[in-house]
Amino acid sequence: MHLDLETRTRKDYIREQKSLHGRKVMGVFPAQYPRELLLAMNILPVEIWDPPLRTREASAHLQSYICSVVSLGLELILQGKCSDLDAFLFPHTCDSIQNLASIVNDYLGIHKPCYFFYHPKAPYKRASRPYYISQLKELKSGLEKQFGELRETDLKRSVDRWEEIRKDISKCYLLRSEGRLNTSNRAFYSILRRVEYLHPDDFHPLLTNFLQSGRTETERQGHGVLLSGVLPNPPEVLDHLDAIGVRVVDDDLLSCSRRFLSGPVSNSDPYEAMAETYFSLPPCSTRGSAIEERLNHILKKIRSSRADGVIFLIVKFCEPEFFDVPILADSLKKEGIPVLVLENEINQALSGQIVTRIEAFAEMLG
Amino acid sequence: MSIAPEIRYRFMKDIGAPLVMGMAGLKGKRKAAIKRDVPLGPPLKCSKRLKEIMTRHYFLSRYAEGARPVAWVTSGAPVELLRAFDFYTVYPENHGALCGAQKLGPELCSIAEGHGYNQDLCSYARIDIGVCLSGKTPVGRLPRPDILFASNNICQTVMYWYRVLAHHWKIPLMVFDTPFNFVSLDRSAITYMVRQFEEMIPELERISGRKFSEKKFKEVLRLGKSSAMAWGEVLATMKTVPSPMTIFDAFVHLAPIVSLRGLPVTLEYYNVLLSELKDRVSKGIGAIVNERKRLMWDNIAIWYKIRDFSRLFAERGMNFVTATYTNAWAETISYMDERNPMESLAKAYSLVILNNNLDHRLKLMERLIKEYQVDGLVIHSARSCKPYSVGQYDLKRLLMERLAVPSVVIEADITDFRAYSEEQTTTRLEAFFENIEDGG
Amino acid sequence: MKGWVIGIDVGSLTTDAVIMDEDKRVLSFSIVDTGYNSTDAAREAMTVAAGRAGLELEDVSRLVATGYGRAAVPEANKRVTEIACHAAGAVYLFPDTEMVIDIGGQDSKVIKVGKDGRVQDFVMNDKCAAGTGRFLEVMSAKLKIPLDGMGDISISARGEAAISSVCTVFAESEVVSLVARNCPKEEIVKGIHRSVVNRVWAMTRQLRVSGGVTMTGGVAKNRGVVALMEERVGRRINVPDEPQIVGALGAALFALREK
Repeated sequence: MHLDLETRTRKDYIREQKSLHGRKVMGVFPAQYPRELLLAMNILPVEIWDPPLRTREASAHLQSYICSVVSLGLELILQGKCSDLDAFLFPHTCDSIQNLASIVNDYLGIHKPCYFFYHPKAPYKRASRPYYISQLKELKSGLEKQFGELRETDLKRSVDRWEEIRKDISKCYLLRSEGRLNTSNRAFYSILRRVEYLHPDDFHPLLTNFLQSGRTETERQGHGVLLSGVLPNPPEVLDHLDAIGVRVVDDDLLSCSRRFLSGPVSNSDPYEAMAETYFSLPPCSTRGSAIEERLNHILKKIRSSRADGVIFLIVKFCEPEFFDVPILADSLKKEGIPVLVLENEINQALSGQIVTRIEAFAEMLG
Repeated sequence: MSIAPEIRYRFMKDIGAPLVMGMAGLKGKRKAAIKRDVPLGPPLKCSKRLKEIMTRHYFLSRYAEGARPVAWVTSGAPVELLRAFDFYTVYPENHGALCGAQKLGPELCSIAEGHGYNQDLCSYARIDIGVCLSGKTPVGRLPRPDILFASNNICQTVMYWYRVLAHHWKIPLMVFDTPFNFVSLDRSAITYMVRQFEEMIPELERISGRKFSEKKFKEVLRLGKSSAMAWGEVLATMKTVPSPMTIFDAFVHLAPIVSLRGLPVTLEYYNVLLSELKDRVSKGIGAIVNERKRLMWDNIAIWYKIRDFSRLFAERGMNFVTATYTNAWAETISYMDERNPMESLAKAYSLVILNNNLDHRLKLMERLIKEYQVDGLVIHSARSCKPYSVGQYDLKRLLMERLAVPSVVIEADITDFRAYSEEQTTTRLEAFFENIEDGG
Repeated sequence: MKGWVIGIDVGSLTTDAVIMDEDKRVLSFSIVDTGYNSTDAAREAMTVAAGRAGLELEDVSRLVATGYGRAAVPEANKRVTEIACHAAGAVYLFPDTEMVIDIGGQDSKVIKVGKDGRVQDFVMNDKCAAGTGRFLEVMSAKLKIPLDGMGDISISARGEAAISSVCTVFAESEVVSLVARNCPKEEIVKGIHRSVVNRVWAMTRQLRVSGGVTMTGGVAKNRGVVALMEERVGRRINVPDEPQIVGALGAALFALREK
């Protein structure tokens, strides 16, 4: 039921953004893209991760072995629920999204402009950074043809704005890992994930308010876990962890910390600054990072957040994640850190089996 | 490099390998004498030579360790660069296909699965990881690599897979990043790729302990280009009615252009094959006895079904005369140009079918259907290969709309036959046969 | 007030109860069908077990519930997962246990256990029914062989049919065509067992345990499966006399521990 409400409010919000603020709206597929650039052109990015739908039409286009992020994203388009969007943007995240982009652009005949964003893959070389910047500029000139000229000052302002928001997101993560943020698992991610469609004018106040009201000095009660994988879905997993008193103290989720927790920006040129952001993001399977690097990153997070275990929440058929997991899980276990790997569809209800696994895992934490 | 492995390698190359090759040839002969399928035409004489070449390649690889720098390479990587440093190259994808054809897929995959690798992952990768973890392989032994060389022009999967290998072997992974052509190849992407080559050279010099020789590199490019063109001509003989070769032959004869590209033996081999095929064409000899219908294959082969399918289709007078898969090694490698080595290499490798948008693929398939006078299309939806498979349902629909070509989708896998249903496939194929016969 | 406790395991097919005294002696047990109402099934199982032990339910001092329906037992003093219970129960029965293989109706689990009976790690099958009792059920219906007769039939097989598909639906069609080809029933059954064992064996490999192995759950009664599993893991496997009640037994042990 709540899923319905969620789409309705998102829909209303998009319409309001168009009518009240004259904004254009871009449907954006996962995961990495320069949101600063879109926002500077008064385009609101609305991300398509987990539309609350059931697969109906998409199976005529996609095989059964394609993940639910991709099939539900296509479902959203096929069910005609994208009428308010002015265009689509497809970052080059994985093979399935790559081909989905091409199906939408080349085969469906939906008459909506499609944009693409290729980001260089690690291990990065000296050639990577200039190429990334050239990609930003190409995206910009592509968008200008549809949405009008981008002023450099607007871009600079937008880059600074996003930098401020990222700092506050980092603060939320830090406070949570120190146990000084009084919030449920569900509430934390439901606030954070509003970044997927809210304009900074609305998201930033929401976030700062959440930060201020949630601050606490009491110590963390119960066990803490680090969440890894693609996205914190199904949200019922978070509810269940809340119910049994297990707190998510940090994450390595593609949709969350892996996109947001980049280092501070020092460059004043906006394109250089965006490149700096991209290349300082945490290690990620979809950007080609070495497994060792990701492992060390997770271990560091476990130490700083005093997590008692790690839960991998992996979307079924997600190749980039499933290749990393065995070595990560094995190495963590060797360090004495309990690991739980859950494989699920993004909108799948919480089965008795998953509940049992989570509870048995919590029992293992002591 | 120490001296002993070098001497052993040379000995094996000159004395041991020819012996083994001779034996492989004998084995082939014996088998051929015992069993001939009635609906099939005379077997290719070249097959014996091919078997020798590939046996020698895997046999020698055992002795390469220590004697020559060893690289494990993805099928779409610009291996020409490595050849300039005299790397011995091993192709896990080719090895996976070989295991698949010997029906070892599930056994080797389950070793990887036992270490937590999900059953939904690419089965070439699972086989290879299984081989690394257990040392089991039908070719005796694979040499330990000094470097891993991957390009994402065929899929992102190879990067995930090779990261696992890099962790396992504790060796460097070199990636050639080829931006996907959502629309078309642009200047900034070419510059990016050329710069990557430039950065690779000193790294390869360090790892191989050999100096980059531009002369050798150009020679390799020339050889690579000529072999790709020869392979293209080999495939083009199949435009003839009746076709002198079936795609099932081509799947097997593809091995040298995939694994031994840029070496003299490949060019030499394809020239021999080509003259045999031309001879057949001039005499009107077909690969199957009664070629009534001409088909196209889409996607990688179903390695464990090649033999069965070859008979099944031949019995009905149906011959596969072209495939997007075999065509991939003829299509763009011929862009290589020794006068502009780096840029032409970048183009040759980033314009391959799987690094291009689906509109490009549709047009390519339309062209092949017309050029090869194709009556029907068999689409292998391969669980292992998402970039090849995602979009096939729409391709099927569009090709029917535009060219009225009947087609069928087989849900299967390249090597893991646990994901294959004989019964379901038979039903689908029977319906396809009825359909194509109705079409006249 | 005596120190009697009850452990109850509300599973998808059956609900089992075990009554134990303070000295960890099993006084009685019961197995009833779960049916549509888990709460009723739990009460019935407890009443039957109490009756067999000659006790009144009021005499029981502590109750621990486990299994999928553990939340549906309002009287429970505590709820523990069946993973922890199977581990505790198996170590109680066979102290050398380091790994528990539980092939249940809906899912299979492989548990790594410490000497203290505590869970160190575990793996469960994914959503698909391959490698579970459900797979055997589907096949027994298809072959018209009663589920509990499959083990004995397969033991007599000389050859073995190859069933390669991992998907239950695909495997079912493989079985159909084997039947059509007049493949002997016992060989088909053995092939089916092999398929389950291979699947579960892959799970055991992830935990890499070298010590004693105990099989629990209803499928442990199937001699054919146990024999093939022993062949695969390369050592003898402990099988309890009543493998179905190991979960409830573990729950009873938890009830004693909490006293």
